[in-house]
Amino acid sequence: MTGWRAWLLDPAPRSPLQARLGQAWLGWLRLSRNPLALIGLLIIVALLVAAALAPLLATHDPYVQNLAGRLQPPLSPDHWLGTDEFGRDIWSRLVYGARITLYIVALVTVTAPVVGLIIGTVSGYFGGIVDTVLMRLTDIFLAFPRLILALAFVAALGPGVENAVLAIALTAWPPYARVARAETLTVRGADYIAAIRLQGAGSGRIIFGHVAPMCLPSVIVRVTLDMAGIILTAAGLGFLGLGAQPPLPEWGLMISSGRKFLFEQWWVATMPGLAIFIVSLGFNLLGDGLRDVLDPRGSSK
Amino acid sequence: MSLLEIEDLRVTFATEAGPVEAVRGVSFSLSRERLGIVGESGSGKTMTGRSVLRLIRAPGRIEARRMSFDGIDLARIPEREMRALRGRRIAMVMQDPKYSLNPVMRVGRQLTEGLRLRDGMSARAARAKALEALEAVQIRDPERVLEAYPHELSGGMGQRVMIAMMLIPEPDLLIADEPTSALDVTVQAEVLRILDGLVRERGMGLMFISHDLNLVSRFCDRVLVMYRGRIVEEIEANRLSQAQHPYTRGLLNCLPTIGGPRQPLPTLTRDAAWLE
Amino acid sequence: MALIEIDDLHVTFDAKGRHVHAVRGVSLAVAARASYGLVGESGSGKSTILRAICGMAPVTGGEIRIDGRAIPARRDRAFARRVQMVFQDPYASLHPRHTIDRTLGEPLRIHGVARGTERGRRILRALEDVGLDPAFRFRFPHQLSGGQRQRVAIARALMLEPEILLLDEPTSALDASVQAEALNLLSRLRAERGLTFLMVSHDLAVIDHMCDRLTVMKEGRAVEALDHAQLARHDMKADYTRELFAATTERIAAAE
Repeated sequence: MTGWRAWLLDPAPRSPLQARLGQAWLGWLRLSRNPLALIGLLIIVALLVAAALAPLLATHDPYVQNLAGRLQPPLSPDHWLGTDEFGRDIWSRLVYGARITLYIVALVTVTAPVVGLIIGTVSGYFGGIVDTVLMRLTDIFLAFPRLILALAFVAALGPGVENAVLAIALTAWPPYARVARAETLTVRGADYIAAIRLQGAGSGRIIFGHVAPMCLPSVIVRVTLDMAGIILTAAGLGFLGLGAQPPLPEWGLMISSGRKFLFEQWWVATMPGLAIFIVSLGFNLLGDGLRDVLDPRGSSK
Repeated sequence: MSLLEIEDLRVTFATEAGPVEAVRGVSFSLSRERLGIVGESGSGKTMTGRSVLRLIRAPGRIEARRMSFDGIDLARIPEREMRALRGRRIAMVMQDPKYSLNPVMRVGRQLTEGLRLRDGMSARAARAKALEALEAVQIRDPERVLEAYPHELSGGMGQRVMIAMMLIPEPDLLIADEPTSALDVTVQAEVLRILDGLVRERGMGLMFISHDLNLVSRFCDRVLVMYRGRIVEEIEANRLSQAQHPYTRGLLNCLPTIGGPRQPLPTLTRDAAWLE
Repeated sequence: MALIEIDDLHVTFDAKGRHVHAVRGVSLAVAARASYGLVGESGSGKSTILRAICGMAPVTGGEIRIDGRAIPARRDRAFARRVQMVFQDPYASLHPRHTIDRTLGEPLRIHGVARGTERGRRILRALEDVGLDPAFRFRFPHQLSGGQRQRVAIARALMLEPEILLLDEPTSALDASVQAEALNLLSRLRAERGLTFLMVSHDLAVIDHMCDRLTVMKEGRAVEALDHAQLARHDMKADYTRELFAATTERIAAAE
């Protein structure tokens, strides 16, 4: 116990890996002092566990219908969260739905922030005409209401989870580009960038090796805070029938189908709604905590 | 009786790696004289100055066996009474006027605001007083400076305005933390002369915090040399060249001099025993 | 022939909507292996001259020559191998998220020299040369003191073994005792490697200690050029030089 802790906190690390892990450990120590962030992290971990162990956690097959046992209320003997209009177990569907939510989250995370980071840093670093062109492009995307643009994309490309994600990613990157650009503008004039330029480094190396790492923390924080919105947009597209298609246990879709029974059988729509709420809250709490940990200005001391 | 008496002052910061003591048991007293506090970065000299005004932010904590200013127990009085002392009876001039003046407010308003709000002076009387203060710090064109924004002033001018502002309420004690370090050498001398004149004239106590031993010795009556949160030597300013402590000696010797020899400069070998 | 020649240099740029004529016709020549100082107060344009040499400030008139040849408009890699710079603020000149190892290794990586284990050896030797323990290799800048950071910055500037080192107030952010160590280190490295220094400082005493010749600057113009001996004899012509000299000695001599 003390052995690896000492290794992590060694003031004189013996390898780049040890140095990096040591910094990560310090970050974790800072995060762990923030109870709200820990709750957020716990929720995200729970989501991951639910997605990974869905077959074990689910009590029923999420797709098997049982019309005899339809619309059973929560806490009924066999279905603790009740059943939907086709008699499918809501708990099992939620657990499998976690996989779809996570899939959406993962796909958006590897697209929008990456695109935003590249466009933002390039734009901020070069300035001038490059900046003008890229930023006006960003403005155009920013000017469209997110859901409407996503709707247009899905209408053109056809409904489905992947297309919904693509639509979301295409509308989600401009804020990251803005954040990355703002950060780049402050970093660009720093002495350490001047120094590396004096060493003869090319623009690519400077942008991706030296500028981007400084923008990454703000972008990560922003992504975490946006994740709630992204999940909600995905759910919204599902709700409108433009995202995941039945019988997939996607949470937004589940709300949509539960809508018809909202007054008599409230749980059909409420349970997936609660799931969306909790996961969104988790990302928000974690994002707030990460902001304190990752802020380069805060950790420089 | 002394104006300020400090006994066993400690400033502690709670960090991830455990508590860090920035000031470790400092005791001194100050009457209506000019006291220099000298040390390098991390010596706790700034923290000592700020402690007097209780201007240490969390996670820092101030502890002292005794910290009295003119009979007032600074360590115990409520924050409300402390606020009444700050600026009025104990004033502070900081290193860079850029950070101490409000950038979006004209100098005139910043100078007169306190007078009008605290002392209920009329606009005209406050303005007259502000002009007088600016003249006291030898600003040639005080009318123009009153109408200026801080960014329109040069560094030396800004620092003089700061000094004028701090001296308007006629405090009993002035804490000057590196008041000239951000200024050019030719301007430094002038600002110091002004500060010196005002302190003598009004008979106030001065705590002059600086990294520059020579500057302090020329300007103060008595010098405290701090090292890593402790006072290692206390000496009359005019006897500084006879300083005993190796740290003080090291500080005096390590500066290059014009026309000095070309050999390597003497460096300071730090001794763990100095921390005791 | 002089290694660095600056001829009637003018630098003008727009900053915050104002037109700044930062350097107004400055000429100087630095012999190979010499140490040349530029001294002046804030706004005198002394640092701008260094920045102009590096291509960080626009040359709007005059010429800068190295080894008799005008420096290329685009400072290329060959230029980087000849001329390097040490910045004033050691807290701002090292990348906060790179380890010392990465910071020192980056120049080698850019120029594709010293691969594999050789790169590690070069980094360790560079640390040793500036008097830092090998244990510093994988630390981050925030784990170092100001003096240690400046040593790393000096080591980085020397990684490509340049002949010319531009020093922009290299010790003004350091404590007096640390300044002495850094100045000693710079002098030693210059002697060992036959470096040419062009050094900027606001402190006449520092420049006098480090340089053979110096130019006093004020408001973008060269007021006076002096050598070490002239300064020691107080043999100066311009009033401003005298004023600067008086202010500096007054500060230092007070203790005696």
